Amino acid sequence: MIECKGLKKTFQSENGAFEVVKNIDLKVKENEFLVLFGPGQCGKTTILNMIAGLETPSEGIVTVNGKEVHEPGPERGVVYQTISLFPWLTVMGNVEYGPKVRGIPKEKRRATAQHYIDMVGLQGFEKSFPVQLSGGMKQRAGIARAYANNPIVMLMDEPFGALDAQTRYLMQKELERIWEQEKRTVVFVTNNIEEAVYLADRIVVLANRPTQVKAEYKINLPRPRNYVDPEFLRLRMEITDAVDKTL
Amino acid sequence: MIKSQKEKIQRVLAGLFSIGAFLALWQWAVVSTTLGQLMPGPITVITSFIQAFSVPIGTCTIQQHVGWSLSRVMIAYLVAAVVGIGLGVLMGWNPKIEAIFKPLYDIIRPIPPIAWIPLSIVWFGLGEMTKYFLIFLSAFSNITLNAYEGAKSVDPVLMGASRMLGANRTQTLLTVVLPASMPFIFAGLQVAISTSWATVVAAEMVRSTEGVGWVIVSAQDTNDMNQTLVGILAIGIVGFILATIMRGVETRLCKWNKSE
Repeated sequence: MIECKGLKKTFQSENGAFEVVKNIDLKVKENEFLVLFGPGQCGKTTILNMIAGLETPSEGIVTVNGKEVHEPGPERGVVYQTISLFPWLTVMGNVEYGPKVRGIPKEKRRATAQHYIDMVGLQGFEKSFPVQLSGGMKQRAGIARAYANNPIVMLMDEPFGALDAQTRYLMQKELERIWEQEKRTVVFVTNNIEEAVYLADRIVVLANRPTQVKAEYKINLPRPRNYVDPEFLRLRMEITDAVDKTL
Repeated sequence: MIKSQKEKIQRVLAGLFSIGAFLALWQWAVVSTTLGQLMPGPITVITSFIQAFSVPIGTCTIQQHVGWSLSRVMIAYLVAAVVGIGLGVLMGWNPKIEAIFKPLYDIIRPIPPIAWIPLSIVWFGLGEMTKYFLIFLSAFSNITLNAYEGAKSVDPVLMGASRMLGANRTQTLLTVVLPASMPFIFAGLQVAISTSWATVVAAEMVRSTEGVGWVIVSAQDTNDMNQTLVGILAIGIVGFILATIMRGVETRLCKWNKSE
């Protein structure tokens, strides 16, 4: 499905070459929810951007469904941390943007957009502009916009990082509900362990400087998960300990 | 920012008060000091201004003079807007286009439009074309600069999002760079409407037989202070109305940019 082989990324700085990402090998299965988990400033976003085609790897290749990735493309949907909604478009305008630029006729794209607006629970806000929405609602719209292009892969870069704790819990539950409803292959980046254990089928723990794979955990807990279930807490503890050693 | 009705009324009253005080001071100075020998008071000027709607100054009534000047401004301003927005956004968006056109633009930009008067007369004669050219120059540089700044400051995350959603480069330019630059473009359009209006007066003072600039020049020739002041009043009022209209259009089109 998604395959990263020997991914490397180096940046040139005044003090010479600076290795951000080192030898990442990753395989993500169809409809798998993979979480990339690692400390603050590591190259998680860089890895995601290379899968997206927004950054070019210095070495190695990314393939999605066997096709090599060289540039951005609509079969890979992205949900960002920062608010990336187009502020001059309404919720409807944002959600139908993808189908619109790809030339889908108005009636068809409206129906698709409406379906996903309903799915993320934003019905009634179709004509609202992003400034009129709360942080959680903006991310709902961002998820609907990514879904409306019917991508085979969803790339999520700390989508809930800027939300308050209460909204964040709610959005984790919402995302799981949405994903159960319409499954996609997901690569989800976070530095929040609770979020990782709650959402992931598999967690890839990344070590810092340069970013490389440190450990992997399969999470087999039944969904929807309970944040205070003993097994949940045990896994959370185990992974936290493993990460602390890498810092 | 939501203002209460009461605050709005207070603001309007404060403005009316200062205008009223200015007119009262002027009237007093004309009646009580030697200023009265040099120029008429506001009552005389406003009366003449109102009369000028029916009694022509030269060949035209005051509203016809304003109409002439406005039509010159509109034609040149529209051309400047299209060229300026196009060039500015393209320069801000594409480094190659920027490398080619920006240095030339940077040299032309600081030249005041009236410095072009002798050359433009040689090129275009004394007719309408010279006036269009001068107004175009005065509007063009502001509009281009602001459109350029706007396109430069577009959030790269938005451009990336648009590419990821399937837009090609041209679609990204038209559906992301252009709308994201709109607040900047409107700032430029607003400054440009004021400079265009100022330039049409200068251009008409060079040579014309009608227009608000002509009203002032012909008054100068006959030493008619009253007519000069009628011309100035007309220029001020129209300038104020144009700026107000532009602000209104901006508020409507850039609604998304006003938070809360």
